[in-house]
Amino acid sequence: MKIELKHLEDLALGSVFLATGGGGDPYVPRLIAEQAIKQFGPVEVIDPSELSDDAYVVAIGSVGAPTVSLELLPSVEDAANTLAAFEKHVGKTVDAVASFEIGGGNSLIPIVAAAGKGLAVIDGDGMGRALPEAQMMSYAIAGVKPTPALAYDYAGNVSTFSTNSTEVYERHIRSLAMAAGGMITTAEHPMTGRELKDSIIPGTLSFSIKLGQTLRENRGLATDMLAPLQALFKDSIYGECRLVYTGKVIDKATRIVGGYDIGEATIESFDSSDSPLTVSIKNEYLLARKGDKVVTSVPDLIVIVDYETSTPINAERLRYGQRVAVFAVGCPQFYRSDRALKVVSPRCFGFDLDYVALEDL
Amino acid sequence: MRIGIDVGGTHTDAVIMQGDKVLASTKALTTADVISGITNALDVILGDSGISQDKIETVMIGTTQFTNAIIERRELAQVAAVRIGLPSGNGMPPMLDWPQDLKDALDSEYFMLHGGYLYDGWSLADIDEVEITNMINSMLKSGVKNIAIASAFSPINSTPEEQVAAKIRQAIPDAKITLSHSFGRLGLMERENAAILNTTLLPFADKVVSSFLGALKKRNLNCPVYISQNDGTLMSADFVRSYPALTFASGPTNSLRGAYKLTGLKDAIVVDIGGTTSDIGVLQNGFPRESNVIIKVGGVRTNFRMPDILAIGLGGGSIVSADGSSIGPRSVGHRLVTEGLVFGGDTLTTTDILVASGAENIGDKSKVAHISAETIRKAKQTLHAMLNNNIDMMKPGGKSMPVILVGGGAILITDGLDAASDIHRPEHADVANAIGAAIAQIGGEAEQMVSYRTLPREEAIKQVTKDAMQRAIDAGAAAETLRTVDIEETPVPYMDESSTCIRVKVIGELASSPANSSDNTQESTL
Repeated sequence: MKIELKHLEDLALGSVFLATGGGGDPYVPRLIAEQAIKQFGPVEVIDPSELSDDAYVVAIGSVGAPTVSLELLPSVEDAANTLAAFEKHVGKTVDAVASFEIGGGNSLIPIVAAAGKGLAVIDGDGMGRALPEAQMMSYAIAGVKPTPALAYDYAGNVSTFSTNSTEVYERHIRSLAMAAGGMITTAEHPMTGRELKDSIIPGTLSFSIKLGQTLRENRGLATDMLAPLQALFKDSIYGECRLVYTGKVIDKATRIVGGYDIGEATIESFDSSDSPLTVSIKNEYLLARKGDKVVTSVPDLIVIVDYETSTPINAERLRYGQRVAVFAVGCPQFYRSDRALKVVSPRCFGFDLDYVALEDL
Repeated sequence: MRIGIDVGGTHTDAVIMQGDKVLASTKALTTADVISGITNALDVILGDSGISQDKIETVMIGTTQFTNAIIERRELAQVAAVRIGLPSGNGMPPMLDWPQDLKDALDSEYFMLHGGYLYDGWSLADIDEVEITNMINSMLKSGVKNIAIASAFSPINSTPEEQVAAKIRQAIPDAKITLSHSFGRLGLMERENAAILNTTLLPFADKVVSSFLGALKKRNLNCPVYISQNDGTLMSADFVRSYPALTFASGPTNSLRGAYKLTGLKDAIVVDIGGTTSDIGVLQNGFPRESNVIIKVGGVRTNFRMPDILAIGLGGGSIVSADGSSIGPRSVGHRLVTEGLVFGGDTLTTTDILVASGAENIGDKSKVAHISAETIRKAKQTLHAMLNNNIDMMKPGGKSMPVILVGGGAILITDGLDAASDIHRPEHADVANAIGAAIAQIGGEAEQMVSYRTLPREEAIKQVTKDAMQRAIDAGAAAETLRTVDIEETPVPYMDESSTCIRVKVIGELASSPANSSDNTQESTL
């Protein structure tokens, strides 16, 4: 398939749902992708299986605090310049571009980078959602090395990285992101076609478009959206989808700490019949609790949508007084494996609890 | 006693109210000069009721003139949009995603400058004096006087916007300038859009407010005058000269509140059909349902908190195609009485269709005798389908809901609506907007820079809320009706690790009579 102009609206909408609050608002990246496709034509999407084992692939996207992206607008050339600088740095040309995060704006940035060079973009990503830290990527979990990697900031400053540890790499790029105003574009986790096939969460790009289409075509009350969403998720890599809460946002506070948006939101049920739902935020919605009772936890997906239209809401746009619904969706099986839970279980985020799959809660 | 006036594109409505009681009401045509339309309406209500001017404690005006100006692309002044934030956002100029016809109507130009600050207070880029000088020279050359300025992170640090504005004022002393940070909130594109829309309306706002005040003076009404804003609260008339965009959603808010007042229905769909547009909104518990998603005004994303309204270009003055298959969005507006066929004009409007169908007897019926039955049938079908489809989009789920029809154009609906459980056409429905304006609410807003180290967050919010409530009470709100509608926290990291700007807005009902001073009426922006 090819990504054309007509796909961008649905891709953006679906990607905000999968972003679980983080990933940055895709509105501006979408405008940039529109310009890129108008200028360079549609972008080829290839299934990982179509890639030759010795192809050279790199993941491209933005790293930082989503709040920053509301103000520090990206430039149209950021993605292409990041890729060009990366190729220069490694002295090799890239055969295809991958997304490290399908959630939010990072679903679109690889498309922009690929468009300028006439490359294909891979149908899949390194998370199946959005997650705050690099070592939480499926590529890293499967053993792909983070570097050689390169970061490009809003002023065109370039930094390169060389380390074998993704945890160390995460610390380094995060501090660079803070120093560069809170948001940078990176090219990282370069890999062969073989490595990509063994580590990618497959099909998420085309799935995100389908999800966006479902949200658009059924636009309306969240309670009515549940059935079409369940029908879509049931036969996907995600599986379970539940509507876990409806109510009004009565409190929300996040701050930019250490290069992340960190904070909490509280939702009170419309008729105050249910105890309030607290959602912990680190870029993404990570944990939803009623009192001490866990309703959903990372790596399963917590998605907050506008109650009336089911439009997913990014954490940085969540506000006091909004009427919302909360969906919980099972994560891809990859993230329920022991090696993945070592880096994405609730404990990795400082919560004193073990992961229990959504279906067992 | 209060007077509520609603100045729409087509009609000027006025009511005198005492508490919840309508003592007198009228519907007059909006005149080209606006003034005579208002004085005409005042003459009728004061004359009919025999109430003397000195009994009137306040006049509240709602107006859709500014929204209509944007939607119809008229009365818009030439604008220069200045963005401070390069090298970020290169290739992403202001108005990038605006409808082309609106950009053309603004005859807009834009400038992108280096400068601004990052979220942590570090300089984003150095200001380039040469760039600013070139920009000012270019403005002098084009003669642009209305300028919108937006800078990255200005809600946290507005210095760059103020500095550039000062430089422009030095060179262009009569420039009218809007700074984006007066429209609050992070979200550069939406904030900038709000500032640009506001700016293009500034000359028109001067004209409109002067007309309002002139008309009231002419009729010896010397009480405080307020104009209703987006959230149904009031602002002083003079404030609107600088912030016309704050009236954008006041029309729908007023008609929703008016519809609630007239029917007592707490949960319903309200369709307000005017001369130019139909606004479809939802009452929830007696208040307009607010939108959670970005609201577009005239096709432009803005950051206003507004009622969730679907506006469609369908009203009593909408222009109908010869075969009846398409209606609007162009409208003859208040020129209906000269341009509509039944009034001897030569434009086919929805009102002409209504008369031709025999449903109403307005103007000269013989002037529409030639319209074919097929065109009438098709036009009526188009009009009802437009409303049914859009009501369905607004309905909360598949729930069947009552529909309240208000506004002068409600007579266009002759065949019932499939989308409604039942239809209400309350008495005074044609002046619901003016009633909504007369029962407008009082807002109070307070803002404070706090450090959570010295004052725990909950305490801080409580304190600011208390201040906001006091302001609302001082401005005439009844204490027991106050509710918090917005809490906005903006961390300001560069001042001190835990500095936060808290802004709280509360709204309440007008106590029996508002404090007769406009000094303490809420004058801050969103």
